[in-house]
Amino acid sequence: MRVIRSLVALAVLIPALGCSSGPAVLSFSGSSVGREGEVIKLQLDRFAREHPELTVELRPTPDAADQRHQLFVQWLNARAPDPDVLQLDVIWTPEFAAAGWIATLDRFHAATDDFFAAAVAANRWDGTLYSLPWFIDVGMLYRRTDLVAAPPHDLHALVRLAKDAQRNNGVPFGFVWQGARYEGLVTVFLEHLGAFGGAILDPDGRVAVDSPAAEAALSFMRDTIYADAIVPPAVLTWQEEQTRFAFESGQAVFMRNWPYAYGLLDNASQSRVAGRFAVTSMPSAPGGTATAALGGSALAINAFSEQPEAAYQLIDYLLEPEQMLERARIAGQYPSRRALYETTALAEALTIPVDEALSVIERATPRPVTPVYSQLSDILQISIHRALTRQQEPGPALREAAAAMRALLARARLGPGGS
Amino acid sequence: MKDAREERLGWALAFPALGLVALIAVFPVLWTFWESLHLDDLRMPWLGRPFVGWDNYVEVATDARFWSALGRTATFAIVTVALELTGGLVLALMLDRIVRARGIVRTIVILPWAIPTVVAALVWRFIFESPGGLATAALTQLGVAAPTWFAGEFAAWVPLVLADVWKTVPFVALLLLAGLQNIDRSLYEAADVDGAGPWQQFINITLPLLKPALLVAALFRALDAFRVFDVVYVMTGGGPGTATETVAIYTFSTLLQHLRFGYGSALSVIGFALAFAFALGALRLFGAGALRSRDA
Repeated sequence: MRVIRSLVALAVLIPALGCSSGPAVLSFSGSSVGREGEVIKLQLDRFAREHPELTVELRPTPDAADQRHQLFVQWLNARAPDPDVLQLDVIWTPEFAAAGWIATLDRFHAATDDFFAAAVAANRWDGTLYSLPWFIDVGMLYRRTDLVAAPPHDLHALVRLAKDAQRNNGVPFGFVWQGARYEGLVTVFLEHLGAFGGAILDPDGRVAVDSPAAEAALSFMRDTIYADAIVPPAVLTWQEEQTRFAFESGQAVFMRNWPYAYGLLDNASQSRVAGRFAVTSMPSAPGGTATAALGGSALAINAFSEQPEAAYQLIDYLLEPEQMLERARIAGQYPSRRALYETTALAEALTIPVDEALSVIERATPRPVTPVYSQLSDILQISIHRALTRQQEPGPALREAAAAMRALLARARLGPGGS
Repeated sequence: MKDAREERLGWALAFPALGLVALIAVFPVLWTFWESLHLDDLRMPWLGRPFVGWDNYVEVATDARFWSALGRTATFAIVTVALELTGGLVLALMLDRIVRARGIVRTIVILPWAIPTVVAALVWRFIFESPGGLATAALTQLGVAAPTWFAGEFAAWVPLVLADVWKTVPFVALLLLAGLQNIDRSLYEAADVDGAGPWQQFINITLPLLKPALLVAALFRALDAFRVFDVVYVMTGGGPGTATETVAIYTFSTLLQHLRFGYGSALSVIGFALAFAFALGALRLFGAGALRSRDA
């Protein structure tokens, strides 16, 4: 009997202790390694000093997007109130919003017009704002300026220029991109697809990867490997870093990559091409427009957070122009506020010339904004990879992918535009 | 009367152990089975978690990706087990003949088996990377055009099978070596007297008497090969496309990457049932009889 009574007393006491222990803990979860970790620690510390009523903690998560996603899903599915603020990959917002895992931000009346429109679009689901763009990543075409003076005006010109440089200058690879079976392949495909005038989903949210434009785009990609021989088959096993190594050691004429590579390539102590390259957007092909895949991160509030107001204060703080500039300077990540691109402060912070960066960002195309994006992407990755490794012709591969994507959308029971 | 009491005592004493087995072996299987009767998709939480009966199993039956994964897994199991038994037998015969430095030689031979699979698979992936991997460079030196291993529908199997065989031949060899050393030497002496050559001795003495050990090794390896996961996960992730996707890889990606718990559980239950049926069938066919013949 005594034992039971003391157990009951303990059960009452423990939560009480938890509540009374100093200021409330506000937790942030996101990338915390390398340069990104450096910036976030600095900024969280400053925020905590300005808000002595709060204790701010960083919850480190795996840096690989897939793993962080799995962890977030497990936490949120269990309705954990911690962490309060989440760093989401640009493609996760609709999924988390539709699941009811992140809070709507409409009541905070953020000035969304200050951010790039394409980035904000990816942060809405069903007309409601669920997250705010933190920084922006865009696909870019890197070019060796000593081999190719002017950027190619379309994809066919790129093939010609790459071939010439391979033949005349003995450069082994004409063009390298991320061709392993992972999310990166979808971004590369998206850029080719836009160049040929296609899309993954049409404006009404219907699957469109079996369009003639998509077949033309995928056939073009395949021909650059096997017919034109400007893209080495090895890219079908490469992610970002392998392409950067190839370009950095002077083995490639063109490379498709994200902005992070610029600073590393320009570092003469490790790069053979420092000072001999430039970036532009990926070129278009007849019938389409120049397209850059939009990447980057957004900030959102855990729907089960016990202190959404404090969480929003932190988001607001991290999105201030000064913090964005600091992030650009230390981690090389692009601000999501358009006005900053007119400032000299950003020009000084970034390694890539600001006007070049801005012209690419303005062509940025988001990936489909749907809660089932990850599953759609997985289907697409497999079919594209099959076609590129010559296990299947581009047409049948894309038709198969489209059928599987339609079946998935039907299973998800999401009407166009709403849940 | 006394017997009944003793029997009760026996059950009482065995109860904790039986309970533990039930808790860690039977309960998860039953739970997975119960889960497999639900639609439970963590990535589509708006669908809820309704009971759907056999729906997931019906979907498996019509899932082309599952059937091709099953076909690939079976082929992989047959090919690797055949290679491993042959390689293991040769190695065991060699080890059996070695007189000097036995301990050291055996230790060296067993090393690949002692290396964690993930580490070994990483090394093999490194060897077959394109371009610049050792295997690719060696072939180029010989004037042979090396394929882009991990981008080839069939070429991707070469490093996978090699890694698996390299790693498990020592294990098979060890099992067979134990079997070899159980064979009565006087049989060979008698055969020598009768004028039987080494090949005849191998066919008529060694192989028949090694049968129990061979069957045990084959059963172990076949079950392992059927559930193959780590080698494939590290080296190809199931690619290119899904050309090297095994049942275990497909189940893993359904469960833990797509978070389709209901459907993934159905796949797990089917994988479990197939392995269980195989083991049971193998034991029925030759297991018990073969094992008994050793004592006879």
